[in-house]
Formats: sequence, structure tokens, C-alpha cells
Amino acid sequence: MTSREYTGPAIKVNDLSFNYKNLKAVDQLSLEVPRGMSFGVLGPNGSGKTTLIRLLVGLLKPKYGTIHMMGQPPSRKMSRYIGYMPQLASLYTELSIAQNVDFFARIYGVRNRAERRMQVEEAIQLVDLWPRRRDSIYNLSGGMKQRVSLACSMVHRPPLLFLDEPTVGVDPKLRVTFWEYFQNLNKQGVTIVISSHTMDDAAHCDRLAFLREGRIIAEGTPYELRQATGQSEATLEDAFLYFVVSMEEGNESK
Amino acid sequence: MSPSNTLSIALRVVRQLVRDRRTIVIILVIPLVIMTLLRYSFPGESSLLNNAYPPLLATMGLLFSFMLTGISFLRERSQGTMERMMASPVSRFDMVVGYLLGFFILALIQILVVVLFTIYALGAHHAPGALWRICIFQIIVVTVGVNLGIFISAFARNEFQMVQFIPLIIFPQILLCGVIWPVDQMSTALQWIAKFLPLKYAINGMTDIMLKGQGLLDVGYEIGILAAFAVVISILAALTLRRGAA
Ligand SMILES: Nc1ncnc2c1ncn2[C@@H]1O[C@H](COP(=O)(O)OP(=O)(O)OP(=O)(O)O)[C@@H](O)[C@H]1O
Ligand SMILES: [Mg+2]
Repeated sequence: MTSREYTGPAIKVNDLSFNYKNLKAVDQLSLEVPRGMSFGVLGPNGSGKTTLIRLLVGLLKPKYGTIHMMGQPPSRKMSRYIGYMPQLASLYTELSIAQNVDFFARIYGVRNRAERRMQVEEAIQLVDLWPRRRDSIYNLSGGMKQRVSLACSMVHRPPLLFLDEPTVGVDPKLRVTFWEYFQNLNKQGVTIVISSHTMDDAAHCDRLAFLREGRIIAEGTPYELRQATGQSEATLEDAFLYFVVSMEEGNESK
Repeated sequence: MSPSNTLSIALRVVRQLVRDRRTIVIILVIPLVIMTLLRYSFPGESSLLNNAYPPLLATMGLLFSFMLTGISFLRERSQGTMERMMASPVSRFDMVVGYLLGFFILALIQILVVVLFTIYALGAHHAPGALWRICIFQIIVVTVGVNLGIFISAFARNEFQMVQFIPLIIFPQILLCGVIWPVDQMSTALQWIAKFLPLKYAINGMTDIMLKGQGLLDVGYEIGILAAFAVVISILAALTLRRGAA
């Protein structure tokens, strides 16, 4: 890829809108994500996180606005450089863990046998399921499925990762491992977009966007967002509520 | 077009079913049960029975490959793996061809078992040397069924709806294509409709091969039309693939 020469933001979204029939799921959203960072998307149920991610990975076509990944519009060719973890663990239930991960490595173009074996092992090791690699997905617990799903989405080592609530159902110990790994990837220049509900994830992100009704109501580093509330003890949760309230007051005064 | 993607998908489809033992048993045993029932529902050795085998073989070739593919494909949509595939670099064309190949291999095994069982265990009459022609012809019928399954699954939102489509696709064909009553004795309007149903050609071809001992070239017209059905339906299937994933 041209990523060596490309120095601009990893993701650049301009005035993006998408609606399902009459429902505005993403509304005039603009966004820039620099390379090599973890970017968190937070917001209540139905605020448009999944829709935004599906737009970014090219599953949905924008009604208005533009998307650029590494300076290029989404295309089938670009999709090789993208890893996508859907919100619901989407796996072949009859197949084993290793077979699932191997399949996604193949269709993402990891052709070399030895290379693929290595990458598949690394991905399964990361989610700590190597001893159970021959088990069918059918026999796994909910959190384990979520972990396999994560392994499938990053086995081809993409420079861009889109993870829709990757830590749901994952136990706290493993969550710590995940974040160490994500931050390690960041250091190697991998850009990660993560949607989440937990403040624990949010605190790990380099930058955050608060989403509400398809709009970004605030964006910044976790520190900046907490500061904006004016309270020194404020948590990210407080910050989110603060922005929601101030947005509603803004609407009323209009 | 990427042969390695196509092959990866085909391989995965086969693996999935092979690991599901119960499904494999069901797929293989049920057609045999049906053929056996057919055999013993006729009193004695009647020539009527021998005339009933070819249409039923053709119908099962189409029906079972259609059901197997339709339901599997729909599961792929409902379990979300289709969404993953759609986000990947695999093209829609590679996907349809990959599934086609995968289900084709399975449907083929099924069909071979049924044909051999019908001929050897049940002693169905067949023209001398027709066995391999029956199998090759059945392969073409299966291809149409597989494509039809992928295509129709685009119109169902869940497995329940897909199951409802099965009688809709199959019964008109059974009634109008000569399984129960010869097509040429029906009204012109119905005969005209039958012209657009693949099963008509499948049954004609199978009967000619099995009972009249005709060669593949003699049924070239039927083979040609069935191949055309397969091509047109697979294009439609590729076009409708986006649905449900987005
Ligand atoms: N396929 C769809 N058809 C119609 N409306 C949809 C569809 N998918 C999502 N929506 C609507 O779009 C809005 C945004 O949904 P989205 O899934 O993006 O929310 P989310 O922020 O991911 O929520 P959650 O936290 O529950 O995952 C919701 O109001 C939802 O009802
Ligand atoms: Mg969501």
C-alpha cells in the first residue's frame, strides 16, 4: 500500500449522512482520525455507532458526504487493508475456531501457507483460545465467541481496524490484555476505531467522539472532555451527560 | 475473478456440512427413504413404476439442491457472516461461484447415492449403459437447483420464510412439468407456462436418457436450456447478493 508515503489522517469523513427510510442514523458527520491511534466512538443505543462503522468499512453507501481511508475512497481494493469486527459475533458455528480464523485470513488475501499459519496462531493466541482451537464455535461461551470474532477481524494484520463493541462480554483480565495489544498495534501505526459503552474502554482511547442521534456532540481526548465539564472530579460519564444536557439546552434556546 | 477465493469459499462450505454429521445423515437418508416408498407404493413390478423413476429423480435433484443451498445461504445472512464477507475483498461473483462449487460437490454426492440406490437396490429399469449419462445429466440439474437456492434466499428474511418458498418453487413445477400428468396433454396456457420451468427440461431429458436410451447429444436441447437457466439465475443471484447484508 501507499501508506509509507501517505502522511495525512488515516480516516477523513466529511459531512456524512445516512438514513434508513425516514430515520436519520448518521447526520452531517465530519471526522478526522490521525494514523496510529485508538479512536473511541461512544453513545447510547441507537445513536448511530454501528451505522457509522458500516459506512466506514463500505457496507453502506453514504447518502451524502465523503469518506477517505488513507486518502482514498472506500473500494473493494481498499477493503484488504481494513479489519472489521461486527457487533454480533458472526462466525461459522459448525467450524472450529482455527477454521474460522483461517478462512478469514484466506479471503483477506493471506495466501502464503506458512505465513497464514503463523498469523492464525498469533490471532488465536491473542484471544487466549489456542488450547481450544479445534472446538466448534457451537460449543463456546458468549464471551469466547466474541474473542474469536475479534481474532477473525485482525488475522490479516490490517493497518485499519474497525471494532464494533469488541469488549462486550469479555472478562476484565482479558480486556486488559486486549488494550495492551491494541496500544501495541497503535505504536506500529495501526489505526483503530472502537465503539463502546464502557468508560473503561473510553479511558484507554487516545481520542473520543460522543455520538447522539447520528451527530458528534463532542470530540477530544478523554482529558479534554473531562475538563470541559469544569469539574475537576468529573468522569467520562459525567462529561457525556454534560454534553447531552448542554446540547439540549442549546436546542431549546433556538 | 479470483480462483483462490472461490476455492476457499467452496472448501469452507463443504467443511461446514461435513462437520455437521446429523445434517449429512439426513441429506443422504431422506431421498433414499422417498425412493423406497415410491418403489413399494406400486403393486408388483409395473411398467408404471419404471416410468415414475426418471421424473422423481430429476425432481429430487432440483428440489434437494435448491433446499440445501437456499437454507445454508440464508443462515449465512442471518448469522452475520455474509456481512463479514461483504466487507472483505471477495467479489460477489467469486462468492456465488464459490458457493456454487461447494454446494455442488455436496449435492452431487447426494445425487450419486440416490441414483445408484434407485438403480441397484430398487432395480429401476434403465437403458443399457445409461448410468453415467444419468449422472452427468443430473449434475446439470443440480447446478440449476443450487443457483435457484442462492437466488431465492435473497427474498427471504429468515429461515421460516425460506421454508415457505420451497412449496412455491417446487409444487407448480411438479404439477406442470410432467411428474403427475404428461405436459402435452395440458391446456395450451399451462404448456406455455411449463416452457419457463426448468423441471420440464430436467424430466424430459432424464426420461429420454433412462428409458429411451438416448445419448447426451440427443438431449442436447434440454441440456442447453438447463445450462441457460443456470447462467441466468446465477447472474440474478450475484445481483441480489447485496440484499440483507447491508
Ligand atoms: N437495518 C436497519 N434498518 C432500519 N433502521 C436501522 C437499521 N439499523 C439501524 N437502524 C436504526 O438506526 C439507528 C442507529 O442504529 P445503530 O445500530 O447505528 O446504533 P448503535 O449506536 O450502534 O446502537 P447500539 O449501542 O445499540 O449498538 C437506530 O435508531 C436504529 O433503529
Ligand atoms: Mg451498535
